[in-house]
Amino acid sequence: MKKFFFAILLITFNQFALATDIPVIAAAASVKFALQDIAKEFTQDTGKKVRISYSSSGNLTRQILQGGPFELFLSANTHYIDQLHQQHKTVGQGVVYAIGRLVLLTHKDSNVQLDKNLADVRQALQDGRLTRFAIANPVHAPYGVAGKEVLNTLELWALSVPNLVLGENIAQAAQFTRSGAAQAGLISYSLALAPALKNHTRFLLLPADLHQPIQQSMVLLKNAGATSKLFFNYLQQDKARNIFSAYGFSAP
Amino acid sequence: MDWQALTLSVKLSLMTLVFLLPIGIVFGRWLAYRRFIGKSLLQTVLALPLVLPPTVLGYYLLVVFSPNQGLGLWLANNFGTTLVFNFEGLVLASIIFNLPFAIQPMQRAFASIPNEIREAAACCGMKPSTVLWKIELPLAWPGIVSAMIMCFAHTLGEFGIVLMVGGNIPDETQTIAISIYDRVQAFDDQSASIMSFSLLIFSMLTISFTYWLSERSSHNHA
Amino acid sequence: MPDSSIIIKLQQQQAIPLNVELQCQSGELLALVGPSGSGKTTILRAIAGLYQPQNAYIECQGEVWQHSSQQVFRQAYQRHVGLVFQNYALFPHMTVLENIQQALTDSPQSQRREQALALLKKVHLEGLELRYPKKLSGGQQQRVAVARALARRPKVLLLDEPFSAVDQVTRRKLYRELLSLRKLLAMPIILVTHDLEESALLADRIALLHKGEILQTGTPEHVSSHPQSATVARLMDQQNMFTAQILAHNVATQTTLIRWRGLELQVSYQPKFPVNTRVCWMIHSANVLLHRRDRPSNGDKENPLQGKIIEYMESSGLAQLLIEVDTELKVNIALNIPLHVSKRNKLGLNVTTGLSLLKEGIHLMPYQPLRRDS
Repeated sequence: MKKFFFAILLITFNQFALATDIPVIAAAASVKFALQDIAKEFTQDTGKKVRISYSSSGNLTRQILQGGPFELFLSANTHYIDQLHQQHKTVGQGVVYAIGRLVLLTHKDSNVQLDKNLADVRQALQDGRLTRFAIANPVHAPYGVAGKEVLNTLELWALSVPNLVLGENIAQAAQFTRSGAAQAGLISYSLALAPALKNHTRFLLLPADLHQPIQQSMVLLKNAGATSKLFFNYLQQDKARNIFSAYGFSAP
Repeated sequence: MDWQALTLSVKLSLMTLVFLLPIGIVFGRWLAYRRFIGKSLLQTVLALPLVLPPTVLGYYLLVVFSPNQGLGLWLANNFGTTLVFNFEGLVLASIIFNLPFAIQPMQRAFASIPNEIREAAACCGMKPSTVLWKIELPLAWPGIVSAMIMCFAHTLGEFGIVLMVGGNIPDETQTIAISIYDRVQAFDDQSASIMSFSLLIFSMLTISFTYWLSERSSHNHA
Repeated sequence: MPDSSIIIKLQQQQAIPLNVELQCQSGELLALVGPSGSGKTTILRAIAGLYQPQNAYIECQGEVWQHSSQQVFRQAYQRHVGLVFQNYALFPHMTVLENIQQALTDSPQSQRREQALALLKKVHLEGLELRYPKKLSGGQQQRVAVARALARRPKVLLLDEPFSAVDQVTRRKLYRELLSLRKLLAMPIILVTHDLEESALLADRIALLHKGEILQTGTPEHVSSHPQSATVARLMDQQNMFTAQILAHNVATQTTLIRWRGLELQVSYQPKFPVNTRVCWMIHSANVLLHRRDRPSNGDKENPLQGKIIEYMESSGLAQLLIEVDTELKVNIALNIPLHVSKRNKLGLNVTTGLSLLKEGIHLMPYQPLRRDS
């Protein structure tokens, strides 16, 4: 019995000592699938590993400001990068690694029609077919900001506000729509292209002029180590660029 | 099944127990046997995590340990470490959050030992430390064990605090509860449902075992 | 002062009021008797060191266990006391043998088992070493508690109503065992009980407690037949208590005359009560003599009364009678007589009979208002 206890203690305590040199990277939820693929390629090519923590860009920025152990941050906009730079948390001002796009997403069986001006969305809001409309939270998610901009441009904001369901990040908004809990949503192009989503949903790419350009920027943070720097460079090279475009990101 | 997350969760739970076992015994016994000024205030404070939203506790922990000021800064300067967004920070948060789950059952276990038995032990010539070791602990043991099991299960399921204080860092703070959340957002229903079901079964087993233990102990007391 | 005795002086006002002075010699069994709440158990716990009174002096066999004015207080585990709790307080998670061994801290490890077995034998529980307390009867548990208390090699043995939790048959058996055990014990024994009969059976001396004060100490027989006050008499469950007036004292005949309800009674000479003052008096029912038609005696002439039996109860060889005496105002006298005598004299309800109050049995006490009409 005592031996069992000691074994457990040993295994547990090693977690403390685990000064792992696999760096932690903060990444916006919109790049999840693209980045996972890129990271796999990176490990294959260099033999080095990274750990990635996904959340909304605003949330990650807050965590970085509060001392989170991240070495590289891929945001879904430039605003947060600038903010971190002003707080002297970054190495340099950052680099735009991709341009994001927004889509209108509905569940496969939804009776809301897809069109570029969200005309049926408007109709559906009025006749009650659309009771829950998912966007990411504009307070801390760049794709939420873009979504709000789209709705404002099309003068749909006031009509849709009572029916908005705010995802904590763009992936959660996508999840609401995919499950059908929300009859439609404004989601990132990158997520709409994800294999897991393809079989359950329909989407339509929205014109880029409906919102401010989604310039996704990344930056190395003050405590970045060699592997992070290597990855940072890797992300700007052709292989990574190709994967980004496969996931619907435009080149910067 | 995200084995890394499950292992992390198990380690977190065990680590919490390592600290809570002595803390629970000391405080549980103290509250069971002593009367002092401020006792009800102390009991209230210790019981807070039962009703406090985890995000509230998480918020205060972030405020206190953020390395930009105060205690967090002191820690960063003198020890080069932080207690946010890492495993150690989670352990601390978990200890605080589980205090009532450890202390209250242990307090009840100690209080249920009739005073006469402890007095009889003293009359047998046993020093207070001997009474603790030979009489109190063996008799309180079922309560202590079930407290530990509850803490283990409770920690395994922690979410709000982990999210706030730990973030979602694989192999550091991505516990199994977070992992389920993560899987759902990655549209990976299969993983999410496997992990959820496993945790459900585990929770049921834990509770049944706890009930069985407490019934067994009520037979031991004549 | 003999070394192997125990001296206790306790005094406090707050919480539980106490004001007692006691002594008990080695080999003596002192019973603390009194109604619940009178402080008996508190005193016992103070002796054991489980309770610390404000002002106390406790010395046992030469060791000073508490001396408040000198800030001396020995913890319970440092005193050698054997305490048998009312509910025995056996350790439920240990066998009988282990329970006893816990108190053998002074013995080397290798001898403990033997010594524990020897103690078990003393209390007639051989063969039960490996039982757990919950599998023992009340009487067996009590014996284990006694063995454990003795294992401590105590300087004083304390028993807190140790017979209250068992049935009467077991109780009688345990009384006998305690009495025979006594002969082997060279230490003071203090027994707390509210059962007067028990104290009469077991104790050499009793101390009657009431609201934290000792009203009277003495042999059980003496305290019940010569109570110092009506309160003591009432606490000793004396039923025949009345008031009267002193008429005269006659030193020559060693007689005092009192008037009681129009009757003149002759009582033993007790001159400390001035003439014409009121007093209380009592008579132990053993000193009430029934006039037997079949066998008249001299005692019949002392304070003769006539009366009618108004209550008649038979129990275990005794007939308990309540006789309504013909006086100015009706008054009742209680007495017990052996059943066979009652039968032979054909006594029963509504039978009239004569009785005598033996002069030496009438005991006078200072006047205090009595509750019943007397």
